[in-house]
Amino acid sequence: MAVLSEPQALLPKLSPRVRRRSGFWGTSREAFWIALETLRTHKLRSFLTLLGVVIATTTLIVVMSVINGMNLYIADHFANLGSNVFIVTQMDWTMSWEEMLKAQRRNKSIRIEDFEFLRDNIHGYKNIGAQAGMGAVDVKYKGHTLREVGVSGRTPSMIDIGQAKVESGRYLNDTDYAHESMVCFIGQDLVSEFFAGLDPLDKDIKVSGIPFRVIGVAARIGSTFGSQDKFVHIPLTTFRKIFMPRPNLAVSVQAWDAQQMMVLEDAVRALMRARRHVPYHESDTFGINASETIMGIWHQLTATFFAVTVGIVSVFMVVGGIVIMNIMLASVTERTHEIGIRKSLGARRSDILMQFIIEASVMALAGGVAGVVLAFLISKLVDMFFTASVPMSAVLVGLFLSTAVGLFFGIYPASKAANLDPIEALRMET
Amino acid sequence: MGTQVASSSTQEIPAPPVGVMIRTENLWKTYDMGEAIAVHALSGVTFELERGEYVAIMGPSGSGKSTLMNLIGCLDTPTSGKYWLNGRLVSELSDDELAYIRNKEIGFVFQTFNLLSRASALHNVELPLVYSGIPARERLARAQDALRKVDLIERMHHKPNELSGGQRQRVAIARALVNDPSIILADEPTGNLDSATGEEIMGVFERLYESGNTIVLVTHEHDIAAHAHRIIHVRDGKIERDETVK
Repeated sequence: MAVLSEPQALLPKLSPRVRRRSGFWGTSREAFWIALETLRTHKLRSFLTLLGVVIATTTLIVVMSVINGMNLYIADHFANLGSNVFIVTQMDWTMSWEEMLKAQRRNKSIRIEDFEFLRDNIHGYKNIGAQAGMGAVDVKYKGHTLREVGVSGRTPSMIDIGQAKVESGRYLNDTDYAHESMVCFIGQDLVSEFFAGLDPLDKDIKVSGIPFRVIGVAARIGSTFGSQDKFVHIPLTTFRKIFMPRPNLAVSVQAWDAQQMMVLEDAVRALMRARRHVPYHESDTFGINASETIMGIWHQLTATFFAVTVGIVSVFMVVGGIVIMNIMLASVTERTHEIGIRKSLGARRSDILMQFIIEASVMALAGGVAGVVLAFLISKLVDMFFTASVPMSAVLVGLFLSTAVGLFFGIYPASKAANLDPIEALRMET
Repeated sequence: MGTQVASSSTQEIPAPPVGVMIRTENLWKTYDMGEAIAVHALSGVTFELERGEYVAIMGPSGSGKSTLMNLIGCLDTPTSGKYWLNGRLVSELSDDELAYIRNKEIGFVFQTFNLLSRASALHNVELPLVYSGIPARERLARAQDALRKVDLIERMHHKPNELSGGQRQRVAIARALVNDPSIILADEPTGNLDSATGEEIMGVFERLYESGNTIVLVTHEHDIAAHAHRIIHVRDGKIERDETVK
């Protein structure tokens, strides 16, 4: 009796093994090698198949790296008004066009009296300065002309607030300011244009035909949307005497730290409103701008840009995914006999399913990797004449997305393969 | 006691005793061809096969022997009837359970070899072990063992298209052996070979039989069937004659 029951004792072993996934890792590895083998043997086909995914990944990463690069650049150069600096102007920089038109009538210019009032009435600041510009002026030196130079009148304190640093000579000082001296502090573009190989100090250049003596040269700043080194700084007092008696000023206030900056902003706002008799229920008739304001505008801009990119990348990815699905369907048909063989040798539906899903994913991942490599090359190229910096997150997102696309679009062909009838599949001769 | 346990798990009909490798009970396979036309590929096949037997299933084309082979090989399930393989009732299993049975209990040898053309002989032989979830190291050892049994160990890294027909069939036999199956099921194994190579392959089967394997040979050739020790003649979906040769 006991001998008779022996085969029956095997019965309970069956079901658990069928459900067990002990072979999962083995079959996955098998599928992985099959996928790599397919990529290797069908190079051109794989390339064409993966083009969509490659382009999508590349686009995503390049756009993200350009935005990232510009973010870093803007934060570094353009939005850097100086640390803990805010600027009081007639118009708020973040205003929309319509608001700007309205404010044009309502907001009065910031005058030298406003600057002096603020300078004398707020307390505890690190620096306060003012500037007025006139832009696009021709500067000449001994027959050489440099067009569209930014000429601004500044208070001596601006050297501590703004971006310019002294490279040689000195900046405008209080004596120049008090005596309305005919002196100037120039940017590197003027040095390279006029004084190549010469010492620019104590030379006289003509700004709008009026001679100014060079007393100092600024260190190179760089370029953001055009050169930042094409400038002439003269004392604000001189500027008023020669060019513009009542200029519209930008008043820069520098605080000691970020916390004090907020306090000072509030103080300036209160003083200006009181001075201009703005009723409590009406908005400011002047603008207070900080680095954050500029970054805010910038981020708004890039967000739109980014949203458009996401849309385009999604379309590419879907197209790429459909191409992968198409090729996988062809591959299933092509390899029906192979599937039959595998099934006859004991491959379960899940084994075949995994094989084809892994194959699709590995293919898409390969496309993603190619996209990343391409994106790195393009970013390097862009960085040469513009700015780009590949963020790690973009690479990860790119790889993840491409794999996910392969996985998703591999499901249908894989389930088709898995559901093949072994007898029919074996009968299919290739 | 044992039979009581057995009867409860297999319902009315008790499982066959241990020595019986295959038992079929009134197997029917009917194909519905649409418009109420039903084709009976098998109509009530009942037979029994003991462990260690060498049996040929013979019949002309259209006799139902391929259908019978598919059922014995667990590639298909009968429309009605019961089939026990090595003590298990396999006629009512799901697809995945059948895949498991094919993997563990059956070694196929096909007329067209059915090797994966892109894989080496060794990898072809390893394949059933991959689907058994055997670790790589053990897989390699067992596949090499199987290839040694068919004298192909020195050609294990060759791909099928670098091997002769006889060698390919020996790779297929090694693949059939590698998981130590209950039966080896050969479907016209010499159909694509010249007669000398065919004899060589039949010699391999003879050796396997002598070392205790159960072999089922499906063929329409008398010379090939003559190698078996028992011949089951199939005609019109029924067993016509069951003769013991040696």
